[in-house]
Amino acid sequence: MTQPVGVSPVGVSPEMAGMHTPEARINKHKADWRGWKFMWPFAVVFVFVFIIPIVYAIYISFFKKQMIGGTKFVGLQNYQRLLVDQQFWSSVGRVALFTVVQVPIMLFLAAAMALAIDSMKLHGTKFFRISTFLPYAVPAVVSTLIWGFVYGAKYGLVGSFNDFFGTNVDVLKPSVLLAAIGNINTWEFTGYNMLIFYSSLSTIPHSLYEAASIDGASEWQIVKSIKLPELKGSLAITVIFSIIGSFQLFNEPSILQNMVPGNAITTYYTPNMYAYNLSFSGNQSNYAAALAIVMAVITMAIAYAVQLNSMKEQMK
Amino acid sequence: MRNTKKVIAATAAVATLVGLAACGSGSDANANKGNADKAELVFWGWDSGNSMKDIIAKFEKANPGITVKFNNTGTAEKTSTALSNAIAAGNGAPDVVMLEDPTVTQFAVTDGLVDLSEFGADKLADDFAAGPWNKLQYNSKPYALPIDSGPEMFFYNKAVFDKAGVDGESIKTWDDYYEAAKKIRATGSYITNLAGTSGDYQPFTAQIWQAGAQPWKVDGEKITINMTKDEGMQRYIKFVQKLIDEDLVDTKTPNWSDDWNRELNDGTIASLTIGAWMPINLMTGAPDQAGNWRVAQLPQWEEGKEVSAEDGGSALAVVKLSKNQAAAYKFVEYMTHGDGAQTMADTGTFPSLKKILTSDSFTDPTTEANKKTNAYFGGQNVNEVLSEAAQRPTEKFQYLPYNPFAQSAYGDEVSKAYTGEITLEQALQNYGKKLAEQGEQQGYTVTVK
Repeated sequence: MTQPVGVSPVGVSPEMAGMHTPEARINKHKADWRGWKFMWPFAVVFVFVFIIPIVYAIYISFFKKQMIGGTKFVGLQNYQRLLVDQQFWSSVGRVALFTVVQVPIMLFLAAAMALAIDSMKLHGTKFFRISTFLPYAVPAVVSTLIWGFVYGAKYGLVGSFNDFFGTNVDVLKPSVLLAAIGNINTWEFTGYNMLIFYSSLSTIPHSLYEAASIDGASEWQIVKSIKLPELKGSLAITVIFSIIGSFQLFNEPSILQNMVPGNAITTYYTPNMYAYNLSFSGNQSNYAAALAIVMAVITMAIAYAVQLNSMKEQMK
Repeated sequence: MRNTKKVIAATAAVATLVGLAACGSGSDANANKGNADKAELVFWGWDSGNSMKDIIAKFEKANPGITVKFNNTGTAEKTSTALSNAIAAGNGAPDVVMLEDPTVTQFAVTDGLVDLSEFGADKLADDFAAGPWNKLQYNSKPYALPIDSGPEMFFYNKAVFDKAGVDGESIKTWDDYYEAAKKIRATGSYITNLAGTSGDYQPFTAQIWQAGAQPWKVDGEKITINMTKDEGMQRYIKFVQKLIDEDLVDTKTPNWSDDWNRELNDGTIASLTIGAWMPINLMTGAPDQAGNWRVAQLPQWEEGKEVSAEDGGSALAVVKLSKNQAAAYKFVEYMTHGDGAQTMADTGTFPSLKKILTSDSFTDPTTEANKKTNAYFGGQNVNEVLSEAAQRPTEKFQYLPYNPFAQSAYGDEVSKAYTGEITLEQALQNYGKKLAEQGEQQGYTVTVK
C-alpha cells in the first residue's frame, strides 16, 4: 500500500521548509562531503531500486514495440494516445470517484475509533485496538477472497441471507460493485489509520487534560480544542497514504474479477489493471510505461496539493 | 488462480516493465543448427503430469551426447511472457520451449521460432490428429509439434437430463441441443453457462471453428477480421442469441469461477461443451455428481456430419536464438512423436499422436487411471469416446497472432451481449474493431469486414 511514490512529497517537505529558514542558507556554504560516507549504502540502493527504474520507465515510454517492425522511437506519441484513450480516463474517473467517497468514510471511522480508545472510558481498549488493526495484517489477496465469499449472491453469506429472508440482494451487481470494493478497503485499512491517529493522540501530555478539567472544560470541549487540532498533522499523512492507495487499486478488483457475475470488472477497471493488461496480454509495455508515468504524476500532484494545503493549515 | 498470479506479478508495475522493454536484434538462422548429437539444451515448460524428469532421463540415455536442463516456468502465460522477453533481449532464451497452441503463430510471425520443416517435421503430419496439427501451421509450415490435444466434447449430467426427460445420447445436432435446453430450463436448471468472459474465449473459438467460421485470416503482415458477416459466424450468432433471449443459458456464471464449480456440483449447470481434458476437472470440481456425468460427441450443425474442433492444447517448438537447433529438434521429436509421447500419455496427458489414440491400452478399461475416470462417468468408457472425437476431421482455423489480447478483450466486449446491453452481433462487431485497433498498434495492415 505504502509505495515509494508516497514518500517523495513528504520527503520534499524538509527542503521546502528549509528554504524559508536562515539556517538552510548557512548550511549550504558549509557543504561537507564526509556525510556521504554515511549516506552511500542508502544512496546506492536508492539509485538502483528507485531512480533507475523510474528513469528507465520514462525512457521506454518514448518507444513503441511492434510485432511487425520491431521497436522504434516515437517521441511523445504514447502520451498523445493516452490523452484521448477513453478506457484510460474511465479508469482514472473510477478510482477518483472511489477516492472521494471511500477515503473520507474510512478516515472518519478511524478518527472516531482513535478518539474512543483514547477517551479512557472504554473497557478492553487493548483488545479493541488490536482487533481493529488485525485486518491490516491479513494479506489483501486473502481478505478479498474472504469478502468475495461473503458477497456471493448464490453461494455466499449474502446468498444464505437471500435464502432465509426470500430477498434478492446482490452486492456484486455492476451498479454497487465499486461500493462493495470500497467496503473491503475500509475494512482493511481503517485499523491502520486508527493507529496513526491514536499514536498522535497519545503524545498529548496529560497535564493539558488536567488543566482543561480544572478550567471546567467538558469532554466535548477537550475533544474539540485539544484532541482534534492534534489530529490535523496525522490527518495529512493518512489522507496522502489513502489517496495513493486508492489510485493504485489493483488487488481487490483483480481477484474479484472471477467472482462477480458476468464480466463487471473489465481489464481496464482501474489504471493499474489497465497497465497490467496492456503489457502482459497486449504486448504494449511501452504504452503501459507511459500510462504508469502519467498516473505517478497525477498521484504525486494530488498528494503534493494535499501536503501544501495541510502545511498552510499548520502555519495558521 | 490466474488472478493470484496477476497480483504477484504486478505488485510493482513500473519495476516489472523494466524487464519487458529492451530492444532486440535477430540472428542468422542457418548458422545455428549445431551438432545434432552433442549439446546442452535448455528447455522451458510446465510439468502438469509430473513426468518431465523421467522423460528427460530416458532421452539422455538414448542420446548420450545431449543433456537437457528443464526449467519449470509454471504456466503457459508465464512461459510465453518470459520467452518474448528473452527474444526481445536477444539472449537468455531456451533451446526448446513449451507453448499453448494459439501462441505458436504469434512467435512464428515475429520470427522467434524455427520452421521445423527444415528438419523434416512436415512429413509427420499424418501421424498426428488433424486438430492440433492444423493449429501449429503458419504459412503451411509446422512451427511446433503437438504434445497433447483437446477435441471439443459434450459433457452432460445424466441425472439432470433424466429429470427433464432428455436423452443425452440422442442430441446429435445443435437444434436437438436447443430443444433439450428448453426442457432442462423447465426443471430449474440450465443446460449450460455462457457469460462471455475471457474464460469463455477458448470454448467460443472451438464452437465457431466447428461452425466453419473463419473470423481471422492472417496473411503475413495483412490481417482480415470478419466477426459477423461470415456464414459460420452468422449461424453461431443466431443460435446463441436465441439461447440468451429465451433465458436458456446461465449468463451470470463465468467459466472457472467458484460459482461455476458449485453449480456443476449441485446440478444447476447440466452440461458443458469443452475440451477432452475436462474429466479430471469435473472429478475434482464436482465430486457430488460422481456417477452422473457422461461424455458424448459434440452436437453438429448439420445432421449426419462429424466435424470436430479444438479447445486448448500445447506444443513444443525450437527457439530461433538457439545455437543447438538440430539437437533441440531431436528432443522435440522424442517428446511429441517418439517414446516420450507414450510416457506423457501414461501420466495423464491427452495424446495427439494417432498411434496412441488408437492403441488398446489407451481405451483399456482395466488400467488404474481409466478405472477411476470411468467410475466417475457411470461406467462409461470415456477414452473411447474421446479418442473417436480426436480422430474426427477439423476445418482449418487460424488464431490471431496476438491471441492473449484477443482473449482478454473478448471478456470486455462480448460479455455485454450476455448481460443484454447489446446484441451478440453488435458485441462481436465491437470486438472486431478492438482487435483491429490492436493489430494496427502492432504494425499489421488490418481490414475489418
